[in-house]
Amino acid sequence: MRIKYLFILPGVLLLLFLGYPLIKMIFNVDPKILLDTAKEKEVMDSIMLTLRASLFSTIAALFTGIPLAYIFARKEFPGKKFLEGLIDIPVIIPHTAVGIALLSAWGRHSHINKLTGINIVGTEAAISMAMFFVSVPFLVNSVKSGFRLIDPRYENTAITLGASPWQAFYTVSLPMVKKSVISGSIMMWGRGISEFGAVIILAYHPVTAPVLIFERFQNFGLQYALPVTVIMIGISLVIFFLVRIYEGQK
Amino acid sequence: MSISLNNINKKLGDFFLKDLNFSINDGEYFVLLGPSGSGKTKTIEMIAGLLRPDSGTISGVEDEKIGLIYQDYMLFPHMNVFENISYGLRFRDLDRKEIREKVVKTAGEYGISHLLDKRIEMLSGGEKQRTAIARATILSPGIYIFDEPTSALDRNLKEKTRILFRELHRKTKKIFVHVTHDFEEALSLADKIGIIFDGEIVQTGTPDQIFCFPSSKLVADFLGYKNVIKGEVKESIFRSNGVSLMVNGENSSLSYVAIRSDDIFLSEKKISSSARNSFHGVVIDIVKKSTIVEVVVDIGFPLSVDITRRSFVDMKISIGKKIWATFKVSSLRVFTH
Repeated sequence: MRIKYLFILPGVLLLLFLGYPLIKMIFNVDPKILLDTAKEKEVMDSIMLTLRASLFSTIAALFTGIPLAYIFARKEFPGKKFLEGLIDIPVIIPHTAVGIALLSAWGRHSHINKLTGINIVGTEAAISMAMFFVSVPFLVNSVKSGFRLIDPRYENTAITLGASPWQAFYTVSLPMVKKSVISGSIMMWGRGISEFGAVIILAYHPVTAPVLIFERFQNFGLQYALPVTVIMIGISLVIFFLVRIYEGQK
Repeated sequence: MSISLNNINKKLGDFFLKDLNFSINDGEYFVLLGPSGSGKTKTIEMIAGLLRPDSGTISGVEDEKIGLIYQDYMLFPHMNVFENISYGLRFRDLDRKEIREKVVKTAGEYGISHLLDKRIEMLSGGEKQRTAIARATILSPGIYIFDEPTSALDRNLKEKTRILFRELHRKTKKIFVHVTHDFEEALSLADKIGIIFDGEIVQTGTPDQIFCFPSSKLVADFLGYKNVIKGEVKESIFRSNGVSLMVNGENSSLSYVAIRSDDIFLSEKKISSSARNSFHGVVIDIVKKSTIVEVVVDIGFPLSVDITRRSFVDMKISIGKKIWATFKVSSLRVFTH
C-alpha cells in the first residue's frame, strides 16, 4: 500500500467523526420547525446577544492582550514563564470552575461588590467577562507567536529613521502581525460564542444561545434543541467564512 | 565631529562587552572586524543608541542622525519601495509634495525610480540594497552604520557594494562604521580598523598597521597569516622543531612567530642579501590560484610562500624540488600570546 493512504485514511476518519454529527443534525431538523424557530424573538435575541457579548470581549482583549503579547514576545524578566503559564490556565481548568471563580471575585459578597457596589451577576457584562476569561488565551498566544516571528531589528531600523519606540511599534511591528491579530481574534470570538459553563454560572439570564439550547433540551427534549443549534451554527459559520474571505483578499 | 567610546561595559546574557575604548574621527571609514559572536552588532547598536551600556560613555553621537543598514536590510515588508524610502520623512515637518519630491530625487540617484510602486518581496537583492541605502541617505545622517552588509551577497555583488560604499563615503564625507567578519573587505574599505574578539577590542589601527603588525597570534590567524609557528625565543633566536630563526623579540619559553607568505622569497640558489633567515627545504605542496601560486616548503616546519605565476613557471617548481626560502628579520612578528 502506498504511504499516502496511511495518511489519508486516518484523516478521513477524523473528518467523518467531526462532520457526521453536524450533517446528521441538519438532516434531522424538520424544516417547518426550523423556520418557526428562526422567527422566535427569544431565539434571535439570544443568538444576537451571544455574538455581541463575544465581540465585546474580543475588542477588550485587543486593547489588553496585544500589549501583553508584545511584552511576552520581546522582554525577558523574572517570573515570565509563570505569567505565560497563567494565561493558559483558562484552557485547562473546567469552565464551571471559571464561573465559580468569577462569581467569588465579582459576585454579591465579593470585595469589589462591597467597595464599589457593582454587581455584574446576571448582566450582559458578566457574559462578556466569562467569555473573555475563557477565550483570551487564543488571542494572546496567537499574537505572541506573531511578534516572536518578527525580527526586533525592524523596530531598531524604524527608530534610527526617527520613529519613537511607540511609532515604531504601531507603524512597523503591529502591521506586521496583522494576520496573527485577525486569526487570534476570530479564534477568540468563536471560542467566546461557544462558551457555556462559565456563562451559565455567572449569568443564566439574559439567555445566550448555548444556554438556550441547554434549556430547551432539558425542558422539551432533543427535537426542540436541534433547530436553535442549527441556526446558531449556521450563523456562526457564515460569519467565519466571510471574515476568512476578507482576510484572504487582504 | 568624532565619536568616542570610553570604558564601555555591557552584559548581554552570558556574554560581556569588556572595557571598549576607541574613537572614530570626523569623516573616517571605520571597520569593526571580528568573527561572528564577538560583539560587533551589539557595539554598533550602542553607537546607534538602541542599546544602553551598563557603564562608560559614548560621546559624539548625541545629536547626530544615524543611518543604520543591517545585513538583510530590514525593509518593511508591508510597505512598498516609496513608503520605505519616505518612512523617516513622515516624522519631519514636510508636506506630501515635499516628501514625494525628495523620494523621487533620491530614488533617481540610486537608479530605483522605476521601482517606487513595487512591493519589497518583488525586488532583487541589489534592488533591496539600494532601497535600504536610499531610505537611510534621504535623511542625510551624520553617521552611517552598516552591519555585515555584504555577507549574504555573491562575489560579484559584494565587489559592487564595496564600490558603492566607497563612493557614498567620498560623496558624503561622513563617519562610516562598518561591521564585518571579512578581513579583505575591511582592508579594502577602512581608514581605520578595530579588531574585536570575544567582546574585547584587541587592536586598532590603519589597515596597513593591522595587516603588517598584528598584535597577537589571534589577530594574525584571523588576518589569514598562513605561517604562525609555535616555539621559544632565547637571545634573539626563535627555535621550533630543530629550526632556528633570527628574530627581534624578548626571551620567552612560549612564543609565536608569524610570517606573511608574500614576505618570503624563493630561489634555486642561496641568495647573498641582507636577509638573515635563509633555509633549504623541499616543496611539499602547490596550490594554484588566479594570479599567484602558493608553494608550501618544508624547512623543518611547513612554510607557505606566495609567488607570482610567472616566477613559478620560470623556476620550474614541482613537488619534491629542493629550494631556498629567504626572509628578513623585520618581516617576522613575534608574540607571546
